[in-house]
Amino acid sequence: MKRMLYYMERDLRRWLRGRANVISTLILPAAWLIFVGLALPIRFTDNYLDFIAPGILVLTMLGASFQGGALLMFDKILGYLQKFLAMPAPRESILFGKILFITLRGLIQTTVILIIAIILGANFLDPVLIISIYAVLFTFGILLSSMMATVALKLEDHDSYAAINAMISMPLFFTSSALMPYDQMPDWLAAIARFNPVSYAIDAIRGLQAGIFPGTTLFGLCAGAILVLFVSVTVFRRATV
Amino acid sequence: MITPARGWTEPYALHAPRTGAGAAFMIAGPGGVRVGGTGTRCESRGFLPSSSITAWNVCGIDIRYESRRSSNLAAIETSGLTKRFESLVAVDHLDLAIDREIFGLLGPNGSGKTTTVKMLTTLLDPTEGDATICGYSVKRDPLAVREQISYVPQDMAVDPKLTGRENVIFFAKVYGVPRPREIADETLAMLDLLPRADDLVRTYSGGMRRRLELAQALVHDPVVLFLDEPTIGLDVAGRRKIWEHIIALKDRGMTVFVTTHYMDEADHACDRIGIIDHGRVVATDSPDALKASVCRDIVSVRADGSLPGELPEGVTFLGRADGEFRFEVDRGDEAGLALSRAFTKAGLVVRAISVRQPTLDDVFLALVGETDETGAFDDRKFRRMLRRRA
Repeated sequence: MKRMLYYMERDLRRWLRGRANVISTLILPAAWLIFVGLALPIRFTDNYLDFIAPGILVLTMLGASFQGGALLMFDKILGYLQKFLAMPAPRESILFGKILFITLRGLIQTTVILIIAIILGANFLDPVLIISIYAVLFTFGILLSSMMATVALKLEDHDSYAAINAMISMPLFFTSSALMPYDQMPDWLAAIARFNPVSYAIDAIRGLQAGIFPGTTLFGLCAGAILVLFVSVTVFRRATV
Repeated sequence: MITPARGWTEPYALHAPRTGAGAAFMIAGPGGVRVGGTGTRCESRGFLPSSSITAWNVCGIDIRYESRRSSNLAAIETSGLTKRFESLVAVDHLDLAIDREIFGLLGPNGSGKTTTVKMLTTLLDPTEGDATICGYSVKRDPLAVREQISYVPQDMAVDPKLTGRENVIFFAKVYGVPRPREIADETLAMLDLLPRADDLVRTYSGGMRRRLELAQALVHDPVVLFLDEPTIGLDVAGRRKIWEHIIALKDRGMTVFVTTHYMDEADHACDRIGIIDHGRVVATDSPDALKASVCRDIVSVRADGSLPGELPEGVTFLGRADGEFRFEVDRGDEAGLALSRAFTKAGLVVRAISVRQPTLDDVFLALVGETDETGAFDDRKFRRMLRRRA
C-alpha cells in the first residue's frame, strides 16, 4: 500500500514541476463551459450552464484519464517500468499508484473547473452535494484511468496510444448525455448514450443536483470501475510476467 | 541465516534470522545480549551489513560472520537456462556460476545477452532450466530474488524533472529501506554526486545520470548488481569513472554482472568473461586466459641480414616478410628484449621491434566470427523482438 503512494508521489512531483502542463489541460473544459455553456441558444432549459456543468466536470476527468494513460506508456518505452519491475515491491503497486495519481490529478483539475462554474453562476454550493460529486468523479476516474492504463499496456508506442486517444475521447463525450437530455436526442443517439459510461457519471451528478439519490446509476458506475480495474490488473500481470 | 564464521571464537554468538536490508540481529555473550537492533549498513551503530562482508566491528567487539548463502552457494548459478521465442532460441542451455566478481557477458547484437539478464532479474520467465540468485530460484521465488539484486538497464531511466536526491530517495522508499533520506545521502556521496544532489537531473551529464542510476541501485545494498551496457554513450572520462565505481563495489564483496560491447573495458575491468553467440556461451574464462587461448604474442623485428642461428628459448620463428622477422612468443614484452639482444649478438642492426599482443577483439572474432548483419535490417522483426523483451 505504501509503495503505491511512493509511485504516486513521484508522478505528482513530476507533474507539478511541469507548470505549463498544469494549466494547459484546463483550457479545453473551461472553454466548453464559457463558450458553449454560456453562449449556446438552447430552448429546453433556461439555465444551460447548470445543465452542462456536470458534463464538463466529467469531461475534465475524461481528458485527465486519457492523458494519464500516456504516463504509463512513457514509463514503459523509456525504461522506467523495467527498473520498477525488478524491484521487490509488489508489482501491482506500480499500476495502482498510476491509476490513483491519474484520478487524483483529474480531481484537482475538476476542482478548478468547479470553481469556474460556480463563479459563472452554476448552483453547486451545497457542501454535501460537492462531496458526493467528488465521490462520483473519483469512481469515474478509477474506471477510465484503469481503462486507459490497460490500453497503454497493450499498445507498443506512444503514437498508437495518441491515435486511440484521439479516436475515442471526443466520440465518448458526444455520445453521452453531456450536451442534451435523453428526450431531446434522436432515438439512435439516446440508445448509445444510455450505455455510455460517461453518461452514468453525468446522470449521477445531475441526480445529486436535483436532490435524488441516483442508486442504479451509481451502482452501474461502481460495478464498471471494479470490472475495468480487475481487467487492468489481469492485463498488467500478464504483460509483466 | 547467519552462522558464525570458521575462525569464530566464543564467547560471543551472533543471531540473525536472515540477512538483507533491515535484518534484525543480536549479539549474545557472557554478559547477556550485548548489541541488538534492526537495520543495515551502519556498522558502527551495530546494524548488519547485508551482504558478504565477513568481519566488522560493533561497539569494540570484533564480529566475524559468514552467511550460509555466500559460503555455500554462488551468487548467480544457472543450469540449463533456456528461453525460446516461438522458433527462435534466444538463450540455449546456459550453465554459469558467478560469485563475488565482475562477470562480463559479451556477444554480438541479438546473441541473447539482454534476454539472459532479463531472466536473471525475473523480468522474463525461462522456457526451460532455472537460475538461482543467492540460492533463490528465479522461477519459484522471484520476490526473494528481487530483494537480493539491483538492475540498471541501458535506457538511462532517471527522472529529469526531479533532483538527484529525489530520484534516489524515491528508490529507497520503494525498496522499503529504513531511513531513506540518510541512505540516499550515503549512496549519493559514494558516487560523488552529493555536491549536485539538489540540482534537477535535467542538468546532469550522461556520466552523472549513469552514476545516479548506480546510486539508485545501491540504496538497498544488493548482493548482486546487474548492469546492461553501463558505459554506453558516455565519454572517456565518464566511462572510466563508472568502471572505477563498479570495481570498488566488487572489492566490497558485491557480485557484478555486466553486459557490454566494449572489449577494452571488459578486458580491463572484468574478472571473468563469458562470450555468448546465438544463445550459447562459447567460452568463459579470465580475459588473459581467453587471449592466451587464441594466439600467443607476435614479435616483429625489423633488421637487415639473415636470421641469427641462436634464438632465445620459447620463441618460434614464423617467417620473414617485407624485411621483418616475425616470431610467436609467450610473453611479448620480455621476448622482444631477448630477441633484440640475440640479433645484436649475431651482428645484425635492429631498427625496430614491435610487439602485438592479442586483444579481446581477436578472441571475440575467433570465437564468434564476423557474423554481423548478414541480412537487411528487418525493422518489423526488430520491433517484434523488442516488444517480446518489453
